[in-house]
Amino acid sequence: MTPLRILILEAQVPFVHGGAEILVRELASALEARGHHAQIVSVPFIDSPKDEVFAGAEAWRLLDVTCAGSRSIDLVIATKFPTYFARHSRKVLWLVHQHRAAYELAGTRFSDFSHTPRDVALRRRLIATDTRVLRECVGHFTIARTVSDRMLKYNGIASEALYNPPKLAGRLHGGPYGDYVLTVTRLEHVKRVDLAIDTFQKTTSALRLLIAGDGSIRHDLAEYIKRRGLSDRVTLLGRVDDDRLVELYAGCRAVLFAPYEEDYGYVTLEAFLSRKPVITARDSGGTLEFVTDGVNGYVCEPTPDALAAAVDRLGADAALAASLGERGHAVAASITWDNVVERLTEAGSATQRDRAAL
Amino acid sequence: MRIVVAEARMPFVRDGAELHVQSLVTQLRLRGHDAETVTLPFNGRKEELLDQACAWRMLNLSTSNARPIDAVVATRFPTWFARHPRKIVWLIHQHRAAYELFGTPYSDFTDSEPDTRLRRQIAALDSRMFGECERIVTNSRNTAERVEHFNGVSARPLYHPPPLAGRLRAGAYGDYVLVVARLEPLKRIDLVIRAMARVSSPVRLVIVGDGSQRMELEREAAELDLGHRVTFTGSLWGEPVADFYAGALGVVYAPFDEDYGYVTLESFLAAKPMITTTDAGGPLEFVRDGINGFVCEPASGSLAAAIDRLAADRTLAERLGGAGREVAQTITWDGVIEQLLG
Repeated sequence: MTPLRILILEAQVPFVHGGAEILVRELASALEARGHHAQIVSVPFIDSPKDEVFAGAEAWRLLDVTCAGSRSIDLVIATKFPTYFARHSRKVLWLVHQHRAAYELAGTRFSDFSHTPRDVALRRRLIATDTRVLRECVGHFTIARTVSDRMLKYNGIASEALYNPPKLAGRLHGGPYGDYVLTVTRLEHVKRVDLAIDTFQKTTSALRLLIAGDGSIRHDLAEYIKRRGLSDRVTLLGRVDDDRLVELYAGCRAVLFAPYEEDYGYVTLEAFLSRKPVITARDSGGTLEFVTDGVNGYVCEPTPDALAAAVDRLGADAALAASLGERGHAVAASITWDNVVERLTEAGSATQRDRAAL
Repeated sequence: MRIVVAEARMPFVRDGAELHVQSLVTQLRLRGHDAETVTLPFNGRKEELLDQACAWRMLNLSTSNARPIDAVVATRFPTWFARHPRKIVWLIHQHRAAYELFGTPYSDFTDSEPDTRLRRQIAALDSRMFGECERIVTNSRNTAERVEHFNGVSARPLYHPPPLAGRLRAGAYGDYVLVVARLEPLKRIDLVIRAMARVSSPVRLVIVGDGSQRMELEREAAELDLGHRVTFTGSLWGEPVADFYAGALGVVYAPFDEDYGYVTLESFLAAKPMITTTDAGGPLEFVRDGINGFVCEPASGSLAAAIDRLAADRTLAERLGGAGREVAQTITWDGVIEQLLG
């Protein structure tokens, strides 16, 4: 293998730290660990007012990522909108997501795009431009099948889902199937934490709900729990460090994760690597790529009643939780960084393209 | 306040500016601000400069995730092109090749017509952007003078403590003088080695740092029969460097036209007098001859005489070093942040 000089292109949202940021850093370490030279290049992503997204795309178009100093860059890996607007002859896409507010979220309460002529026109223009620029990539991968499906639906571009292990993969371990259900999430509307909270108004078992994570609606959720009289059953832990998180996973009965249309979600794999079943909803997106109903968790209607029934089944039967979690573990253990690195670098290598040209 | 510190950096390259920006972010956070860096890739090629300025201009940093950003601190070209109602410049440097380095071998700008036009364009655009900014401070007087000269903008230096500040302490005034520098021609370590050949007191020289001149300098020391009196430690970071400062008799620093130079302040924070030269640039903003060190002619004999004076009189070294410490202690992050944010 020839070591490549690689830039990973990242869209940074200043003051917000989430899964995509971790993904990009993990990819950089995975590339370095396999002998490549990788660096992250970020440009802040500003989405309000709405038109600013075009300016952000333009900024990527203007920046030269073909060389650093006097040495050329062999490969760039684009991740989110609008990083794929960068110009490079070997641009490989590993799509985390597009500008979701203009795609599948439009028209939902999670988007600032509404059904006005102006917004519709903006969306159309954005999707058309995306399609044109995405076609420039020499390889099309996504972090999950949900993301691939979306790109096919909206942009007519086929791609392959390329899964990666979660950051804590090496550290997660099983443990007792304790008396609580765990939710790990940023506290944002789209994660539907309120649904998880409502579920615990319907459960009959003694299981409690612990919610690890922080976010912009933490205060609202704290109020919500109080108002519902659930303070003794539902606890917001706030942001927890990795050591604590590993132990929280190890000691829970199951993990409840029912966001709306999640792209990928490390939580599912982290739960499985901790040998815990996952309770999710049929519209949760990425979780469904791994969770099979009744096999390694439960896929429910997105209602408190349906989720509560699943929680109660596991509440009544720790051995069942253990057997489902064990099968989840087998699924998660097959996902490796070796595969990710190999597929991404292969797609961007000259030999591959030369062969295709022959 | 929510503050973005804006930085432009070449991928795969690390430099002092990165350290500067990191320290600023850390110090802002320590004082309860929510600070974050925004770093766009930078490429020094002439034909890319305006595109990169334009890319920065595309960024409206007024908000992030629907919440306002209160201020943007710009540091180097072209970070001040970003859009924000409250921009503050803490100038590390402009695109030097288009400014004071033009006409030297360090610039890729020629006096061709397109190059001249580009230089003028950059200077004019920089000036306009500076006009948008609430305040312009620089990392040294040297940089402030440049921006006044080329852009007609008044700026004042805002000195900041060196990264080692928290670890430095005074110790014994030992039997060696210290050099801490990258071993590169502009740092003129050969001059210090030649001075050692003329020092009559039994003082040693310890050189902390590494660089392209290492072998050449070692050879020179050997040829001057200074093998037993000159020690090269190679690259060191953190505590071991503070230890060498603590035990030194004094610090010698004789670069050519340095911008700022952390070494002066580090030396003073360890209560050591500094021996420098009349053409050293940045150090002269702090070193006063006979008060907190010696400012010598850039010649080996003159440096040797200063070293001998310290070796002969350790109470002198202590007195000068103590005076230096008073100067350095006035430079604090509290002061920096207060003046920066106004």
